[in-house]
Amino acid sequence: MHVPILKQGPNLIATVQAALTDADLVELRDELAAKVGNLRSRGVVVDVTALDVIDSFALRTLRSIAYTTRLRGAETVIVGIQPNVAFAMVQLGMKLEDVATALDLEEGLALLNRELRGGGNHGG
Amino acid sequence: MNDPSFQPIQRSLLDEMGLTEKEWARRRAWLAFTEEDVERLRELNKFASSYADLVIEELYNHFLSFEETKAFFRDPQTLQRVKSLQKAYFKGLTEGDYGLDYVAGRVNIGSVHARIGLEVKWYMGAYTFYMRTVGERIFRQFKNDLDKALSYYFSLKKLAYLDMILAIETIIFLREQTIRQQQEAIRELSTPVLQLREGLLILPIIGLIDTQRARQLTQGLLGAIRATRARVVILDITGVPAVDSKVANHLIQTVDASRLMGAIVIVTGLSGDVAQALVTIGVDLSRIRTVGDLQGGMEEAERILGYRVVRDENPARGTVR
Repeated sequence: MHVPILKQGPNLIATVQAALTDADLVELRDELAAKVGNLRSRGVVVDVTALDVIDSFALRTLRSIAYTTRLRGAETVIVGIQPNVAFAMVQLGMKLEDVATALDLEEGLALLNRELRGGGNHGG
Repeated sequence: MNDPSFQPIQRSLLDEMGLTEKEWARRRAWLAFTEEDVERLRELNKFASSYADLVIEELYNHFLSFEETKAFFRDPQTLQRVKSLQKAYFKGLTEGDYGLDYVAGRVNIGSVHARIGLEVKWYMGAYTFYMRTVGERIFRQFKNDLDKALSYYFSLKKLAYLDMILAIETIIFLREQTIRQQQEAIRELSTPVLQLREGLLILPIIGLIDTQRARQLTQGLLGAIRATRARVVILDITGVPAVDSKVANHLIQTVDASRLMGAIVIVTGLSGDVAQALVTIGVDLSRIRTVGDLQGGMEEAERILGYRVVRDENPARGTVR
């Protein structure tokens, strides 16, 4: 399923609507990498609220989205990881280090705006 | 033991322990306790009745010669009552009725021992004493037919083992039941997650953290982060008596999971001893933000959230009585 990417001011918002195949994830990554450059975005929010499961491939792709966009000058925030998903991830030893996370879209955008102003101190 | 009022309780205990007809048959099969054994024990009944009183006397003399077992029979009435129960028990061994009622009787003995705190060593010892004195009598009685004596003795021994297994299993079962109840109680004491300010949660942990509790605590915290939209969580471990590498790993997992949901976790209350111990065993806590005490944690959290607490030099009227 294709993930729509919306532009909102200096940020891009990608909201995952349903479970994604590996190909969808790769497509999302490529599209974000391209759009960050085209639209000169400063931040990316990937909303995974709809995901019940985050497997190791999805995690790796999310991480590579964050690293890729960072190289192109945009900070990525993963938002909406569900409590069960978060718990399962740490149980399985899956980590999302040096990638910013936030509770939901609102918090994610607030975080990006804080970072844009240069006062960001998130990152636990 | 034959008191009918005991029976319903025993039956429910049997159910809890999974002692059904089928299970009991399996156990007898496992010990090779066959119909022939039942027959032999029945033959022994008359002879057993002839020496029951004597054996019980000897057994109680033995009990009374040890301080530890004597303590259970301070009161002569108790002694009398237990003796008569014991007699019924020994007669029961050779009455040839080894159904679930028999099992219930044996389970009852285990539960009584568990209740009065009689240790297994005394029970086993007494059983050995009984087998020794009865064995002597059987061999003396059938000294002209040692094969027969041996087969009687072995039948009795199988039954004795069936008995002992039941009684000891009951003791273990009841003890485990106590442990389960205590664990349940500990779980119910579970850690509250309190909201201190908008976006700030505090989780005061008191007592030992094991895998089960860490799991429950983490799940509770993650749910609360979502419900209250918290951005910072203070995990105060002042009340955790010991932090080893296992506990530290649990804490790291809690911190990682919270971070995945976008919340920063500040761990406070690591005492000097705990900190030294962690350094000594080489636990890497560099990924966790730690602050010495709860106050420091609060100040750090407020700084992250952008709160600034200012003391009012002239408090409004009515706030100070």
